[in-house]
Amino acid sequence: MNAITRGVKNTFRNSIRTVGIIAILTVAIALSISMLVARDAVNTKISSVRATTGNTISVSPAGFFGFSGGGTALTTADIDKISSIAHVTSVRSAFTQRLTSTDTSLTAPTPSGTLGNQFGGGFGGGGGGGGFGGGGTFTPPVRVVGTNSPGTALVGGANGGGTEKLTAGTAFAANSSADVAVIGTNLASTNSLKVGSTFTAWGKTITVVGIYSAQSTFADSEVLMPLATVQTLSGNPHSIDSATVYVDSVDNVSAVQRQIKAQLGTAADVTNVQQQAEAQLAPLNSVKTITTYTLIGTVIGAGIILLLSMLMIVRERRREIGVLKALGAPNGSVIRQFIAEATTFTVLGSLFGFIAGILLANPITTTLVNNSSNSATTGGGRFGFGGGGFGGGGGGGGFHFGGFRSFGNALTSVHTSVGWSTLAFAFVIALLVAVIGSSVAVATIARVRPAEVLRSE
Amino acid sequence: MLTIANLKKSFSTSAGDVPAVNDVSFAAKPGEMVAIIGPSGSGKSTLLSMLGLLDSPDSGSLTLDGRELASLSPAERTHFRAKQVGFVFQQFNLIPNLTARENIMLSLEFAEFPKSQRRARADEMLTMVGLTSDKGDRRPAKLSGGEQQRVAIARAFANRPPLILADEPTGSLDRATGKKIVALLREAASAQDATVLVVTHDEAVAQQADRRLEIEDGVLTEIA
Repeated sequence: MNAITRGVKNTFRNSIRTVGIIAILTVAIALSISMLVARDAVNTKISSVRATTGNTISVSPAGFFGFSGGGTALTTADIDKISSIAHVTSVRSAFTQRLTSTDTSLTAPTPSGTLGNQFGGGFGGGGGGGGFGGGGTFTPPVRVVGTNSPGTALVGGANGGGTEKLTAGTAFAANSSADVAVIGTNLASTNSLKVGSTFTAWGKTITVVGIYSAQSTFADSEVLMPLATVQTLSGNPHSIDSATVYVDSVDNVSAVQRQIKAQLGTAADVTNVQQQAEAQLAPLNSVKTITTYTLIGTVIGAGIILLLSMLMIVRERRREIGVLKALGAPNGSVIRQFIAEATTFTVLGSLFGFIAGILLANPITTTLVNNSSNSATTGGGRFGFGGGGFGGGGGGGGFHFGGFRSFGNALTSVHTSVGWSTLAFAFVIALLVAVIGSSVAVATIARVRPAEVLRSE
Repeated sequence: MLTIANLKKSFSTSAGDVPAVNDVSFAAKPGEMVAIIGPSGSGKSTLLSMLGLLDSPDSGSLTLDGRELASLSPAERTHFRAKQVGFVFQQFNLIPNLTARENIMLSLEFAEFPKSQRRARADEMLTMVGLTSDKGDRRPAKLSGGEQQRVAIARAFANRPPLILADEPTGSLDRATGKKIVALLREAASAQDATVLVVTHDEAVAQQADRRLEIEDGVLTEIA
């Protein structure tokens, strides 16, 4: 039986103490593994959000947000200027209008309710919304989004943000000027419309070419039409109330943003979606920080637990160490024996801790992310209100509403996974704990003098 | 042949240096059993620690079979203890979670005894000290005091060291068992031609030795 075998055997010398030490190590290592997995998951989510949102810039008329505020619409000439800036890969433009019962045969699916009456009445006097207020009863208008990127809108981009899917028919072409529309399922249902049905808007007959679902009452109550058609029919040729500029690389976003501001001056609010994303990602970054510190803390904690346990064991077996040395055991052999014992504690603690950590990782991550994202959700609600209001002039709130709502939903859906890197890191954690745990014990063993131990007999 | 000449060791205390072993000289032949008797604090355990290379003398010479030991490095002392010295303690000092056989094999491991022969040698030693094979499978806690001391003797003699140091080997045993243990030590010493030094304060134990030395205040004298 060599020193290693003796060390492993010694691990089980006192069953109660063994169970106690392994249980504490299991909890500490489980927590560190959970934190590691949570950190990885959050990190992946942050990278993913940055990768998908980091290369876009939002442009809207200065002072205008959703249906709130005022300002003058941008024009297609402005968009052309933006398109000509270096590193801009594409620009997706939209012009949003509202149709009252005098403008369309459509009936809005959502009853006005208390909120509609409140906001409809309250904003009735503003901009282009004079017709919506009235006295005590407010009739919600139908929101029409003119877009030059229906494909993107319908697979998750421009309108409602990320969840629109065609359920019937087709989308219209990007440069279309036809009198066609793709409508939300709510609107279709309320007005008994199918693909091929028609309705009127601004006195024109519009044909339904597609129906989409966005899993949102608000978004499913809208109409998507070709940008040129909405501009023409609404009597606002060339008007744009929101644009999303796509840049070839995240690294060029700031430079392009500066050039857009230089081109459009004070006529436009130019915001970097990356900055908005960073604000939305702040809670996730907090989770990342918390998990990092907790991870470090638990590893050190586990090391200290093992260190104190081993110190207690070494002090308890001081005489035995003296006897081994007296019998001719070299220092290295005795040290190996105790390192083997500490390593066995660590391996068992790590094994159970790893299993427990993996099982706990998802619920812990979900709880951390949900709790920390409350503030983000609240923020999203504020933007949502802006997009959902029915006052002010112009339109285009859908872009912002959709964008932020999309972040809010996406941020809470963080999924954990365990890869080789996690396993490797767990191994490093175990090694670190064993090294920390053995260090003082090793130093104590080296100092034990057999003559002193035996003299006290 | 163990030869000690002018061995000195003192300890520093607040009252100054106190001599524990003072100019001790003697020699012991292979196969001889020498008893060192003296009251508590007389310096006998200090002397034994120096003979077992657990402690270093302040001055003097200590040789075994002509080899000077006092000047060995710590690593050489460890190696020497493993190969050349066997210890028998008053409290037996067996490793509690190892069986009797494994305890014997422990000293064989440190002495780099061939791995394949360790078990057979341990069984041989168990037989020599009068223990059956099934006792070899027991842990120390399952053995009587006398049996534990027999295992300790087997452990001390297992790798055939030329020097056996026994510190109060009967101190934890009843008189009858103690007598048997000393007799066993004597037999083993003769059988393996080893020098056995027994430190005791029990005159009856000393009577069983070939020679008796008395130590008092660190000064050793031979009793005729």
